[in-house]
Amino acid sequence: MIRLRGAVSVSVLLAGAGFLACLAAGRAAAETTAIVNATAWTLTSDAPVRDATIVITDGRIVSVASAGAAPPGAHVMDAAGKPVTPGLMQAATQLGLVEVSAATETVDSSAKSGVPGPAFDVQYAVNANSAMVQLARADGLTRALTHPTGSGVVPFAGQGVLLHLFESGDIVERPGTGVFVTIGGRSAKASVGSRAAQWQMLRAALDTAKSNLAATATATNRPAETLALQPVLAGKTPLAIATERASDLRQAAKLARDYGIRIVIVGGAEAWMVAQDLAAAKVAVIVDPFANLPASFDAIGARLDNAALLRRAGVTVALHLSSVQTYNAGSSLREGAGLAVANGLPYVEGLRSIMSAPARIWGVADRQGTLEPGKDGDLVIWDGDPLEPSTLVTAVLIQGRPVSLVTHQTALRDRYLPMIKAIAAENSK
Amino acid sequence: MKLTAWRWLLTALLSLCACASASAARQPVPFALDPYPSTYRPAPRTDTLIVNATILDGAGARIDNGELLIRDGRIVALGQGLDRNGVIVIDAKGRWVTPGIIDVHSHNGTYSMPQTELDVVASDVSEISDPNVADTWIEHAVNAQDAAFSAALRSGVTTLQVLPGSTPIFAGRSVVLKPIRASDVQAMKFPGARQGLKMSCGENAKSYFSEKDRAPNSRQGEIAIVREAFLRAQEYRDGWRDYEKGKRKEPPQRDLKLDTLAAVLDGDIQVHMHCYRAGDMSVMLDVAKEFGFHIAAFHHAAEAYKIAPQLKAAGTCAAVWSDWWGFKMEILDAIRANAAMLEAAGDCVMMHSDSPVVGQRLNIEAAKAAAAGRRVGLDVPPQRLIRWVTSTPAKVLGLGERIGTLAPGFNADVVIWSASPFSIYGKADQVFIDGALVYDRAAPNQDTLADFELGRPEAGEHP
Repeated sequence: MIRLRGAVSVSVLLAGAGFLACLAAGRAAAETTAIVNATAWTLTSDAPVRDATIVITDGRIVSVASAGAAPPGAHVMDAAGKPVTPGLMQAATQLGLVEVSAATETVDSSAKSGVPGPAFDVQYAVNANSAMVQLARADGLTRALTHPTGSGVVPFAGQGVLLHLFESGDIVERPGTGVFVTIGGRSAKASVGSRAAQWQMLRAALDTAKSNLAATATATNRPAETLALQPVLAGKTPLAIATERASDLRQAAKLARDYGIRIVIVGGAEAWMVAQDLAAAKVAVIVDPFANLPASFDAIGARLDNAALLRRAGVTVALHLSSVQTYNAGSSLREGAGLAVANGLPYVEGLRSIMSAPARIWGVADRQGTLEPGKDGDLVIWDGDPLEPSTLVTAVLIQGRPVSLVTHQTALRDRYLPMIKAIAAENSK
Repeated sequence: MKLTAWRWLLTALLSLCACASASAARQPVPFALDPYPSTYRPAPRTDTLIVNATILDGAGARIDNGELLIRDGRIVALGQGLDRNGVIVIDAKGRWVTPGIIDVHSHNGTYSMPQTELDVVASDVSEISDPNVADTWIEHAVNAQDAAFSAALRSGVTTLQVLPGSTPIFAGRSVVLKPIRASDVQAMKFPGARQGLKMSCGENAKSYFSEKDRAPNSRQGEIAIVREAFLRAQEYRDGWRDYEKGKRKEPPQRDLKLDTLAAVLDGDIQVHMHCYRAGDMSVMLDVAKEFGFHIAAFHHAAEAYKIAPQLKAAGTCAAVWSDWWGFKMEILDAIRANAAMLEAAGDCVMMHSDSPVVGQRLNIEAAKAAAAGRRVGLDVPPQRLIRWVTSTPAKVLGLGERIGTLAPGFNADVVIWSASPFSIYGKADQVFIDGALVYDRAAPNQDTLADFELGRPEAGEHP
């Protein structure tokens, strides 16, 4: 097996056609990759490790050390002093469920009927070959929580699925991650007419599941709804509530206390108004960092420092994008984090909101979100500040292997680029 | 460009002939009359000298540690050691100065904030009762109190064109506005700015009207409707010309749709065409040639990079996003390097928003699009990049000699940024329109809030 030795630049490494092939060939054998000369945002502390060497063996990080030596025989990648971070993670998206949103046969994110609400499970629809997934991965996204948006049974949307964005094979890592509901705004009007009914129906569903579980401790014929809500009631997975208005967020905090369950808010445009309440009830919020307009009557209080105000109050904050979440799931996420930082969120908290916080919320913090021994070797080498939208990805590694940065878009670009460059050359004559 | 210049001359000559031969008693050609004139008045202003700034003049030049002198609402000078007599001096050390941002594609004031069921049933974004609503004027719908205007102003936007939506093929006349706080749209109208006509091609019209069992239900049906309409417009215009010259006794029956299209044929109304695919754009360029009108810009222009030479030859600009793609069939081939590739080919390219969210960060759109060019060796330095959101959109609006560039005689629409406008951390510290300080981040006040937001417990200071 060919080994690359010595420090060479990442671009040289990626240009070498043999490199990826050699990696692909050797999954069975122990293999080690060392990224040297990195400014490593480990996110285990608030400051980066300078001149860091990150060693990954068999897909897991084994060490992050300042000025550490690359082990003999390791593939060495030189980060040239640039920032290296954990892979990005989308905390709430429809990635893998939506291809072309206007072409409805490519959209599997909601069911009209025929499924038992909380049990609606989109793991069966995830498309690993989606061009959206391909682009998100090339933009540095290594994990995502993808979730349905409607089940036909109010107020449930269904179960979330944890994705690990491998280049080949299955990307479904863990189905049954979170049960999603939608409350308020137009969702109420379009279904049962009032958000009050949505809250009552949610509580009734939880009560029913609770009594089913208590009455027949060993029953084999429990309804699918009950089975789906069992891990929520047991505190093993969160109930995720997509809602925006302050009054609904108070209801969510109350629900968390009344049932002793973990709740995650998706959206939460007015969460800053009830930050103390949410912090006390240990409710995490997945914020849309771009929301600052009174786009609906539920979001009159939307503002750009929502994430900063929540974090200051001690609330766990992750980010998602409500409008561009599938087609730019990676790049928009870090632009949004940059915007949150520009509006008061401390820089390192901005990184955490798109790397470690989503991993914590969705119970995958043992594998994702920080650079430390035992975590997956999922990381990104950037050519500048990762929260600047103008920064580019230099390399993305998933379990220690560089993934291809070729996408439908880059292939198109490269087809037409020679024509453009010929015109440019002609113009400059 | 050659064609454009020739058309300009022809138009000028035609209108000259028309004026000379029209008898005093006869009605003037009504095509581009504006019965709803601007009542805009600049806010109170002071003469201002900005010093120690990194200045991007909007036209391609950069002045480090530069000064910018504003008097009587106009730019007087750029450089160093300028006259400080009777001016307020602003120290912009470490900060950047650019022309105000110009958005050529906004729906602010019609895409209501907040959106309600009413907008789902009957939106003001466009009249959709017919594929040809060239008789509609979007200014008749614009809500001056829309919160999106104040958000745009706070982010450095000083001029925006509100266009109708793209469901109809002929979607109606646009309006060019200043996003100042006002009680009605007339007070926001950019004095003397020409209107545009929003047209669309491709998926939207055929998808919508086919669901209503109406034409068009295909791309070829759309083009047939366009050609038929311009045939009628040619007859209408010729009828008026004949009337003016005394060749016919009665003027043609006044037709509001044909007024708009005749004004397009005369070059008095700019065509802003919603088009994604290369093929759709090429066909529309040929249609324009067939009927003798000019398309100022293709908006969205996802595949413009595929037909850069054709666009350049036609003198038609591309107004694009940095990275929107994939949400409908005709945008599947959008690429992030589109703008940088067009720039490299010498095409006219600019950023646009189509969104009250993106419309707050067109400068960041430009930064992202430039980064995609950098990836393949097509570098666009800041002093050239700023053109995509200042002087180029100014030109496409026909305002290239008044705004979009910091040069003597231009309107003093100026932004002082806390850092590079191409950094996500850069913020509009101070925004001037016609020399008046209309937003100051250091002294935020209720004036920048929309009427809707006043007195509500949720709404308040915006960071």
